[in-house]
Amino acid sequence: MFVAIEDVCFSYTDAKTRALDNFTLKIEKGEVISILGRSGSGKSTVLRLLAGLEKPEKGRLIIQDEVLFDDKIFLQPEKRGIGMVFQDYALFPHLTVAENILFGLFRMKKAAKKKRLQEVLELVELQDFGKRYPHQLSGGQQQRVAIARAVAPNPHLILLDEPFSNLDAELQGKIREELRDILKKANITSIFVTHDEKDAHILADRIVKLKNGRIEFVGRPCDMLDTYRQTGVQPSTDGFVEKSLTGVN
Amino acid sequence: MQHRFTNINAWTVSAVIIIFLLFLPNLTIVTGLFTPSNENWEHMKKFVLWGFVKNSLILTAATAFFTILIGLSLAWLIAQYDFPMRHFLKWALILPLSIPPFIGAYTYHGMLSYTGVIQTTLRENFGMAVNSAYFDIMNLPGAIFIYTMFLFPYVYSIAQVYLSRQSASLIESTRILGKGPWKTFFQVVLPISRISIIAGASLVVLEVLNDYGVVKYYGVQTFTTAIFQSWFGLGDIESSIKLAASLMGFVILILMIEKLLRGRRQYSYSTTKVRPLPLIKLSGWKAAAAAGYGLFILSLAFFIPVAQLIDWTLLTFGTIPMGAFMNYVRNSVFVAGLSATLIIAFALIVGNFARMVRGRLGKLLPRLTVLGYSIPGAVIAVAVVTAFIGLDRFLAPFYVWAGFSTTLVLSVSIVLLVTAYIIRFFAIGYNSIETGYDKIGTDFRDASRTLGLGVTKTFFKVDMPMMKGAIISGFILVFIDVLKEIPLTLILRPFNFDTLSTKAFQYASDEKIMEASQASLLIIGISALAIVFFYKFLERELD
Ligand SMILES: Nc1ncnc2c1ncn2[C@@H]1O[C@H](COP(=O)(O)OP(=O)(O)O)[C@@H](O)[C@H]1O
Ligand SMILES: [Mg+2]
Repeated sequence: MFVAIEDVCFSYTDAKTRALDNFTLKIEKGEVISILGRSGSGKSTVLRLLAGLEKPEKGRLIIQDEVLFDDKIFLQPEKRGIGMVFQDYALFPHLTVAENILFGLFRMKKAAKKKRLQEVLELVELQDFGKRYPHQLSGGQQQRVAIARAVAPNPHLILLDEPFSNLDAELQGKIREELRDILKKANITSIFVTHDEKDAHILADRIVKLKNGRIEFVGRPCDMLDTYRQTGVQPSTDGFVEKSLTGVN
Repeated sequence: MQHRFTNINAWTVSAVIIIFLLFLPNLTIVTGLFTPSNENWEHMKKFVLWGFVKNSLILTAATAFFTILIGLSLAWLIAQYDFPMRHFLKWALILPLSIPPFIGAYTYHGMLSYTGVIQTTLRENFGMAVNSAYFDIMNLPGAIFIYTMFLFPYVYSIAQVYLSRQSASLIESTRILGKGPWKTFFQVVLPISRISIIAGASLVVLEVLNDYGVVKYYGVQTFTTAIFQSWFGLGDIESSIKLAASLMGFVILILMIEKLLRGRRQYSYSTTKVRPLPLIKLSGWKAAAAAGYGLFILSLAFFIPVAQLIDWTLLTFGTIPMGAFMNYVRNSVFVAGLSATLIIAFALIVGNFARMVRGRLGKLLPRLTVLGYSIPGAVIAVAVVTAFIGLDRFLAPFYVWAGFSTTLVLSVSIVLLVTAYIIRFFAIGYNSIETGYDKIGTDFRDASRTLGLGVTKTFFKVDMPMMKGAIISGFILVFIDVLKEIPLTLILRPFNFDTLSTKAFQYASDEKIMEASQASLLIIGISALAIVFFYKFLERELD
């Protein structure tokens, strides 16, 4: 087991209801997981908890046998080795594309840094854009810089929050293909959040469907289609969750 | 509860200490209320207290009324009509803020006195022997005039921005309904700009209560002058603490009234883009009247006093030894620069803490420190001195051990003065920094942390460079406020330590009005430059 999220609960400060309730998920190395759900269902919250930007009330988080969180331990985000691509990309506006990508490589030697920069720029096909500032790029290019920046330090896991939401429809299709290629090429385990089922079906090895902070469905994209076909309603039994979880294990 | 503090680290600890230290001295004032009263206080309560209260009430109420009248009418003209010189007046009408009221006070007194420019001109050019009493400005109405002239821009600037952003349709529809401009003003503009008027007027009221220079110079007894009198005149610290506590109660009452009047709506602009009000072009006598009105107020509140100060400076230039003058400049720049730097540093720490804690607590705790700005300087002075004397008493064994010749060390040092400035002006810097943090949000910080940088490194590599604008503007605002400050500086400065403003005040108090002009002009020049800088800066930001 590569990533294990066990029984995680969380509510925001001053919020009345739980943003996430008993969230459990196990992920294999190299797997691409999609979290699907309406706005406000808790998708971003899952990513923020994994990244260490929020602290769960209870539960356990483990990556590659290292405990990130339990009753006693809370590992700060900078110690987790998890990359994140933010919904608005959060590219540092005062730094160039190259400086943005080098930002997370401060532990490397100079030569290694330069090499890695070239590698990831090639990966996202932006070799000639290193000297530009984020505001001089198109939306699609900005997004690729954000991905390059997140993968550059070789994280165990990369999290993408609605990577397509800021792009126009035409671009979305193209970028979706690109992203799949990038993720597969880099062979990084990844979780991406979306509210568009099509994204999930095309990109994901497995889909997690969230509703009001609870898991409604976990399984392969084709399983999800099957249940639609059989019942005509969206599956929501907890038993199904268990079954599909064990099915993958 | 526990998970709120995800980071019990150096940031949290420093922020809590700063908040505590900024708030603590004010508590010493409150405790003063409960100490048994002495004879002086009983006497004061019986015979003179009501006089101060009455004067303070009249001053604040009348100044609030006149600043609203002038500030709002100008704001309305600028926001609604197009007329010659509108563009110039729009920003120039903020300039009177660069003249500290006490400088305006002695300048007007100088101009109106028997030997001043007005009476001399009347006598010599028109042969009119006028009764000097008509020109006496050194009284309560005179003080109201001075405050109105030099404080109305608070109301003007806030109301002008607010009115310019009001939805055009609201005002247009009343016009279409056939209401004239006067009816529109009273039935629509006044009610909708209520929140901005209250915001501006409460700043004015707090400034009036804080002021010492004008009332002292014009011989009007108020709370502030009474605090000085019982402290320096009678050497009665206990009574000044009691006076300070009463004044603080008065201020808290005003803040509560403000909150009540504002209602539940916070003062803020709607975020959606509103169609700007199309300007109505004035012509003929109406255009002339509008421009004339603006220019008339601007002349009274800026050009005339500045021209007089320039005249006096030219007359006396060279009589003040340059060495001494440069020394005042150095002292001013030193205390203002040091206080502004510390305030910005503290504000950055507290602001970052507020971001980390989040929730109600994160918003509430820093609010405590912001209280200082509504507390008059004389009250803060009393509080800080009381606290520092206590601190010196506590440290006395250490001083003896270290071989100091006295056990009053901190309470007579520049540390005292700078501490007081920090408490009084922290809010100015904090507002600017808080806006800066709000503007950049938390995504950049979060991104930096997922890329492997801790809170502190993130602060220096991401937050600081992205908040350059907020840091610079906060620094400048605090700097000019310290430069102009009078009551705190007079009470707390170390022996023989003079700044531009204390020197100007002393010269003026000794009836050496002309000698005061040079220092005054420099203060006004620096403040005016800062105001122009901000106007241009803000204008660019808003585009
Ligand atoms: N910073 C916050 N403070 C309080 N509540 C929040 C905060 N962020 C999100 N929430 C609430 O938590 C729930 C889940 O939010 P989120 O994970 O952002 O949803 P999604 O990403 O699926 O749209 C929502 O009800 C949202 O209103
Ligand atoms: Mg979201």
